[in-house]
Amino acid sequence: MLSTIAAAALPILVVTLALGGVTKLATAGREESPGALARLGPAVLMPERFARPALYACSLVELALATGLLVVDHPAARWLPVAFFAVATYVLWDLRRRRPDVGCGCFGDVSAAPVGLRSMGRVAALTAMAALVAVQNATGLPALTGETAAWAAGGAALLLALSPEINEIVSRLRHRAPCEQRPMPPGRALSRLRASEAWRAHAGSLLTDEPSDMWRELCWRFFVFPTQGDAEVVFAVQLSGRRPAVRAVLVGADGHVTSADDRGDASLRESTPVSA
Amino acid sequence: MPYRAGERRRTLAAAALGRDPGPAPRSPEETTPFDVVSGDLLDVSPHLIILETAGGEQRRLVIAPWATAWRGGAVAPADLPAGARVVIRALRGGTVAERIWADITRITGVIREVHGRRDLTVELDCGPHRRERSIVVPYRSSGRIRVRHPKLEPGYLFDAIGLFDQGATFAHLPATSQPPYRATAAPPSPPAYGGGQAGISGTAVWADLPDFAEEGVAKGVAYPMLEREDSGCDDAGVSCAGLPYLAMGSLLRVRNVCDGRTDVLPIVACGCLTGRFCDRCLECGTSPRGRVVELAASSYVALGGDLTKGCFNARVGLG
Repeated sequence: MLSTIAAAALPILVVTLALGGVTKLATAGREESPGALARLGPAVLMPERFARPALYACSLVELALATGLLVVDHPAARWLPVAFFAVATYVLWDLRRRRPDVGCGCFGDVSAAPVGLRSMGRVAALTAMAALVAVQNATGLPALTGETAAWAAGGAALLLALSPEINEIVSRLRHRAPCEQRPMPPGRALSRLRASEAWRAHAGSLLTDEPSDMWRELCWRFFVFPTQGDAEVVFAVQLSGRRPAVRAVLVGADGHVTSADDRGDASLRESTPVSA
Repeated sequence: MPYRAGERRRTLAAAALGRDPGPAPRSPEETTPFDVVSGDLLDVSPHLIILETAGGEQRRLVIAPWATAWRGGAVAPADLPAGARVVIRALRGGTVAERIWADITRITGVIREVHGRRDLTVELDCGPHRRERSIVVPYRSSGRIRVRHPKLEPGYLFDAIGLFDQGATFAHLPATSQPPYRATAAPPSPPAYGGGQAGISGTAVWADLPDFAEEGVAKGVAYPMLEREDSGCDDAGVSCAGLPYLAMGSLLRVRNVCDGRTDVLPIVACGCLTGRFCDRCLECGTSPRGRVVELAASSYVALGGDLTKGCFNARVGLG
């Protein structure tokens, strides 16, 4: 019985550790939110200059523990996760007492909600699962049986029920920021442009492959390419939608439009409203 | 990536999207901005002020009987020293001076270092596009500065209104209450729920923007939500007011909600520090949280702002 539960708990631990490691790596590597790390558990306990390295270290430790559970057949590989989750339980309890405003950061910036009983219950449950795995000496992925699958599903359901991140994910999906507030790297818009009909129609006449100017305004990114006779081709790429609109127009040096693509009836005669 | 002039960008964007390149007409509830004259003071008497503008033009203005002047405090206009850099709010087509601010400067930055015991010297990082500044908080002003800036420590934001005097900058008045967080820990904007809206309300402040002469007057705004790759500003793209992304050269319609004065101004600089302040302006009511725009001193005065107050409640929208 206990060995079956341990066998079911092992993949849950591996997935949780791997997911935690990857999401922390992604959060630490993201540049667009300079103040975000100051609100996440592992980073808030460190001086500001060590916040990012601490998050990197934490994520690498989690990935190493997940790998160890899968491939290393030594008791240390099973007892180290117990120590890790036990320390994490204490850290969360301490964080809740000392900094009730910050999130646990367990899964990166998704875990920005203040530490509550659910987060602490989850890490305590993970400690118990890790202890069971260590005591039962389980290693590697278990053979898939109905009983193991049922216990694994139960364990996963328990963790999901104890995860405050679910609310945050649902909220992010339901209330996605409007596209004019979402950052979008110029490279992605450029690749959208190069896959478009408008690009193929004008590519032969462009003097260079790289734009001479580009800028973003709300949901549109503009690329300007020089062409013959001091004229310029302006491409406007919409930044939202799966098949974004791409418009192109040839503008002479005097600012007059020489030729334009068919814009249909979507011509914007007035300022685009700003969402907020 | 070289920056194109804002005018050319507007023309090209308008051509691509098929919209009018010029600003939308002013609506009936919007009033015209004040006339503003700025330059170096050449001579002043109780009734006449003569100054030289940045373009080298000499301007003579009659001083209105009710006119007031500021130079570190309220002074009589006739007491202003020759050579002072003045900003004048004018009436009657820019011929009658009503309010005069002399040698005024806005000191906004991240504190790098503080030293001194009686008079404090504060080293500030004013963002990648503005140089580092060294300012002095004189002992007589340090009390009111410290009341609003309790953390004069490296890493925290500083915002004060000061005076240029003999090559040094002296902080005189706190422009806002210091944010309690470090400059790198600005809170995120509230979640957006989509839906079209004609404008965004918040706080408009002024700054010592470099001169971007358009039509003879230094007009323009610094805006925080610019893409970093386009603007070359690694600190851009941060705002706690939920602003949309715009670009250098985009036209912003800025309306002073206190008196309805509206102007359409180009974005001429990156508001690296603007988005890190999540304060409210308390002029004629409380503004929503967050600074939305940083105006050049002339533009700020033209919209009815008082340079010694430091902010007004504003509503901004795209041209």
